Amino acid sequence: MSFKYPVVMPKMSMTMETGELINFHVKVGDQVKSGDVLFEVMTDKIDMEVEAPADGVIESLVAEPGAVVEIGKPVLIMLTETEVMAFDFGDDDQPVAAVEVAPPAPIVETPVVAAAPIIVNTNVKAVPKARVEAANRGIDLRTVHPTGPDRTITMQDVNGAQLDPAIVKRQEANKALIAKGIEMTRAIAQASFNRRVTANFDHASFIAAWAKVLRGRPDLAAHEHIGVALIIESKYGSALPVFRDPDQASLNDLRTLVASTTDAAKNGKVPVAMLSGATTTVFDLTTYSMSSATPLLFPNQVTSVTIGYDSESSKNISLTIDLNFCDFYDGALLLDALVASL
Amino acid sequence: MSDRMLTMAEAVREAMSIAFDERPEVFLLGEDVGIYGGAFGVSGDMYHRYGAERVLDTPIAELGIVGAAVGAALSGMRPIVEIQFSDFTAQAMDQIANQAAKIHFMLGGALHVPMVLRTPQGSGTGAAAQHSQNLEPWFASVPGLKVVVPSNPADAKGLLLAAIDDPNPVIFLEHKLLYKIPGRDPVPEGATRIPLGVSKVVREGKDLTIVATGIMVNKSYEVAEKLAAEGISITLIDPRTISPLDMQPVFESVEKTGRLLVVQEGPAHAGFINEVIAQMAGSSSFGSLIAPIKRLAGMNIPIPYAPQLEKAAVPQIEDIEAAAREIVKNWR
Repeated sequence: MSFKYPVVMPKMSMTMETGELINFHVKVGDQVKSGDVLFEVMTDKIDMEVEAPADGVIESLVAEPGAVVEIGKPVLIMLTETEVMAFDFGDDDQPVAAVEVAPPAPIVETPVVAAAPIIVNTNVKAVPKARVEAANRGIDLRTVHPTGPDRTITMQDVNGAQLDPAIVKRQEANKALIAKGIEMTRAIAQASFNRRVTANFDHASFIAAWAKVLRGRPDLAAHEHIGVALIIESKYGSALPVFRDPDQASLNDLRTLVASTTDAAKNGKVPVAMLSGATTTVFDLTTYSMSSATPLLFPNQVTSVTIGYDSESSKNISLTIDLNFCDFYDGALLLDALVASL
Repeated sequence: MSDRMLTMAEAVREAMSIAFDERPEVFLLGEDVGIYGGAFGVSGDMYHRYGAERVLDTPIAELGIVGAAVGAALSGMRPIVEIQFSDFTAQAMDQIANQAAKIHFMLGGALHVPMVLRTPQGSGTGAAAQHSQNLEPWFASVPGLKVVVPSNPADAKGLLLAAIDDPNPVIFLEHKLLYKIPGRDPVPEGATRIPLGVSKVVREGKDLTIVATGIMVNKSYEVAEKLAAEGISITLIDPRTISPLDMQPVFESVEKTGRLLVVQEGPAHAGFINEVIAQMAGSSSFGSLIAPIKRLAGMNIPIPYAPQLEKAAVPQIEDIEAAAREIVKNWR
């Protein structure tokens, strides 16, 4: 059975509403493979090649080259037998307009997984080394085509997998934008995720785990390093000492540093070197027996985490993300990975 | 270096003779080990060379034989027991598992049992279900016993000398089909020991790691040589001592090859080789695997009498070859 699959104008940023179709790389009747370039798009921020999301045949070209197309509107229609598309638009008489109701995820939105081995909900079969390799290279195993027995992802599959050029471009754009700072759309473009955890951790191990998860998403920071700011309340007000690349220190060293810094901060003294370079913020609310607080995102940061009180034996972890730079799916994955690694 | 090519029976006899010459407290006892020279000819002329006091023909009573050896070991002797077929150790299991293995521990370390129990095992001789078993896991699962499974004459000699030195009871499992064939490597002269608990990397390759015991080492070696000509390069590891088990070379090899095939003669269910798989799966080298671990083992049936069925009941060279090819071809 084959499915009609409209390839739509992708949404490449929160502010993008239309994109200009530059040209097609395919014509009607062409056989395409997943990953083949279908057409090129230009926006005010970025030029991009849109790739075939699956193997198939080009059924029709909907838009004209040079035309300005609204996001979510079809640019071309392809026929595919790949069931993983998960979109069946029914019989041929079905209007393509159905696309607007349930737009298929454009390929550019395919998120990069933070660290595959700790994504516990990833239900794909892969040989152990493929998981390690995917984590190291920031490849989402769900985007890798399995060629091994029983549809298992082999090393060859992972080695052949490339980070989608669109994702690379998007990540670069993210970094630049975060550096510039986006405050305008922030208020309406953030989301929070909560998860109850029973794992035991201290500030040091939590900071290290969170940094390790963020390591897989270098685009979520303007800096090359990962700087975790830990909010410490004192009679002088809130202090935010920044721990740089805490996942790369030994846990013992980090514990010593966190303890001494916390003591110093409570006395209103934070080393000058630790006052800058934050890329994310951690706020422990359990001191106040609070389970959550209004999500906060500091300028030039797109994530923050709160540790809240839940019960004697559990805590409530809440992650806030800026939707300009990642979507709900990313947020769920990030929190999932964080909780799994605690 | 010597270039003497001995059979395993000759190598075992040589090791026993060296131990006899080195230590007056070493002696051999078992059914037909004296005048007859052993059911498989392993003790050979030792009766004539060392006399009836050191090479003891015993009645057909395995529990008594091992019991006598345990008692002798406790009183300062170093007995070598030969049980005619490993299947018959079932008769002697109380002395082996409940006495020899535990006395040292139950007496607070005051006494020890420096006994070696040698016994032929394995199928391929048309001797049917009660004379063909591979019982490696019986012994490997009893703490207090060391278990040695030599795959070639040179190892058999060095390991047996180390086993006789060892203060613990050692079960020494010799494969019947290996008795009469020379090994690939010459057997060194002299009294060189091979330490117990050290795995041997028989050959090195980059595509697949095979861990095999006893006669399966020889079969796997043939496969490795054959496939090398086709560009499939195989590391073959012979644990030699299955208790204690030295896994380090296995981990190191799998980190390079990413693929592991384990081969044993005994039945798959709860077999010794499963221990290799379990330790691999729980190790920090797990993340190096690029293929599921493959196991080849005997069928879960008594060894049949009919020769074709007997052959089909345990892994053969063709089985190992097919498995090795499949793993390397399917998992890249």
